Amino acid sequence: MITGNIQKTTSYRIVLPFYLYAALSFLVACIMLLLFSDSLQFHHFNPRTLAITHIMALGWGTMIILGASYQLVPVLIEGKLYNNFMAYLSFVFAGLGIPLLVYGFYSFDMGLPMQVGGILINLAIFLYLANLAKSLYDSKTKNVHATIVFTAIAWLFATTLLGLLLVYNFNIKILDQDSVRYLSIHAHIGIAGWFLQLVIGVGSRLIPMFLISKYTNRNLLWQIYVLVNFGLILFISFDLFGVHPMAHFITIGLILLGIGGFIFYCKKAYDQRIRKKVDEAMRLSLLSVIMLALPIIALLIFILVMNLISSNGSLANLYGFLVFFGWLTAIIIGMTFKTLPFIVWNKVYHDKAGNLRTPNPKDLFNETVFKISALSYIFGFIMFSIGLVYNQQLILNTGALLLLATAILYNFNVFKIFLHKPVDQ
Amino acid sequence: MKVKNNNPEKCTEALFALAEVIDPEIGLNVVDLGLIYQIDFFEEERKIQVSMTLTTQFCPMGESIVNNVTRAIADKFQKYSVNTMLVFDPPWEPARITPEGKEFLEGN
Repeated sequence: MITGNIQKTTSYRIVLPFYLYAALSFLVACIMLLLFSDSLQFHHFNPRTLAITHIMALGWGTMIILGASYQLVPVLIEGKLYNNFMAYLSFVFAGLGIPLLVYGFYSFDMGLPMQVGGILINLAIFLYLANLAKSLYDSKTKNVHATIVFTAIAWLFATTLLGLLLVYNFNIKILDQDSVRYLSIHAHIGIAGWFLQLVIGVGSRLIPMFLISKYTNRNLLWQIYVLVNFGLILFISFDLFGVHPMAHFITIGLILLGIGGFIFYCKKAYDQRIRKKVDEAMRLSLLSVIMLALPIIALLIFILVMNLISSNGSLANLYGFLVFFGWLTAIIIGMTFKTLPFIVWNKVYHDKAGNLRTPNPKDLFNETVFKISALSYIFGFIMFSIGLVYNQQLILNTGALLLLATAILYNFNVFKIFLHKPVDQ
Repeated sequence: MKVKNNNPEKCTEALFALAEVIDPEIGLNVVDLGLIYQIDFFEEERKIQVSMTLTTQFCPMGESIVNNVTRAIADKFQKYSVNTMLVFDPPWEPARITPEGKEFLEGN
């Protein structure tokens, strides 16, 4: 008999479809990157670049984070997920909405499919926000990690809502100016408000946990929270009121300080870890923390050479690439293999535990394939970035090919975990 | 960390059995990880009371670790009923890891 507060985790039936959807989205995005790598040498507001960006931001980044957070947020808030059906529904709405939206961008038609896609995505995110808000409200724990994560989700909803407004604004005059004018705000509340804060909120809890580190520093996390959010609000204000581009140094400086604080936090957690040997998945996740600074550095260059932008549109694309194919992809690839094997292991073995000798969760995927995919990813990422800087098609294609190889190997391992059957004794 | 008990001899046997129960993520057994707080034997009722914790209250592997602990004790002491109580006060902290556990983690 077992007594005490043992909390059942969120059902794998809710979480796994998100992982599968994300893995396939990553593959599709990498195929498109290879086929249309030349598009990234032009202005970022072009159909193919927009299609790839939204597959990466929504199909890959957001879908896997939604799935993982349904599993991990109960750990952060020390409570349970409020409603499973709402979580299912968010998958269905987002799963249907994303291809419609991407099709709209690809065909550059802001008509019905894109509008319906946008509405479905917003419904999904609203359900996600409401579900986690109620879970947090019901939980006794109101900690800094949960606050950061909840704020990130609120920014996500702001991002998708603004995105929907921008889609409609192409056909009906809703906003003061053309939709393209607001793209920068739309992109940055998504990047800094949603992705960056989510990574900080979850990473600051999970990284010390996986490393078995003694380090905690709530004050630092609160400071990071204020810096990122204040920086972002200032960025939006500056952008709306049209201040001189150099003023953005202030906003970038604040966010960079926040990122620096998070890198410092992770470094301290790493230094004070008890578990000395760090596995490959964790190494890639830690590498992604350092990669956080790259897009900001690119943004600084972007501002410093603002006069060159008209002749070198690929710098904006480089910034987007560093965000979506850089730190975001690195942390997702790393964290996939720190979470998915455990979810499937629990599904397959939780009734059998103790009755037979079970494999370790990390045995559910092929580590050699993971190592090759990590190398392929790092080289692909570096080559494609160089290709964007120098506008070299051959280097772009080589980089894209390596990233496609990464996506194929990633999918191989993800499906290997999904299809895992109990080991016969 | 010392495990409280009311029967040192049987507690040693129980801990020996629990050394087979591994935290799947960390790869270390629950005894060296310091998850076991107390094991009491009640001879008249033929009952064993295990008090344990988890590294985090909502550990996704928690249910399976607790099941394994209960099963390992039940297998070792088949004439007893086992009650495993999960507690989070005091919460687990890395200082609870035994020197053997630390040695394992430093090498792994």
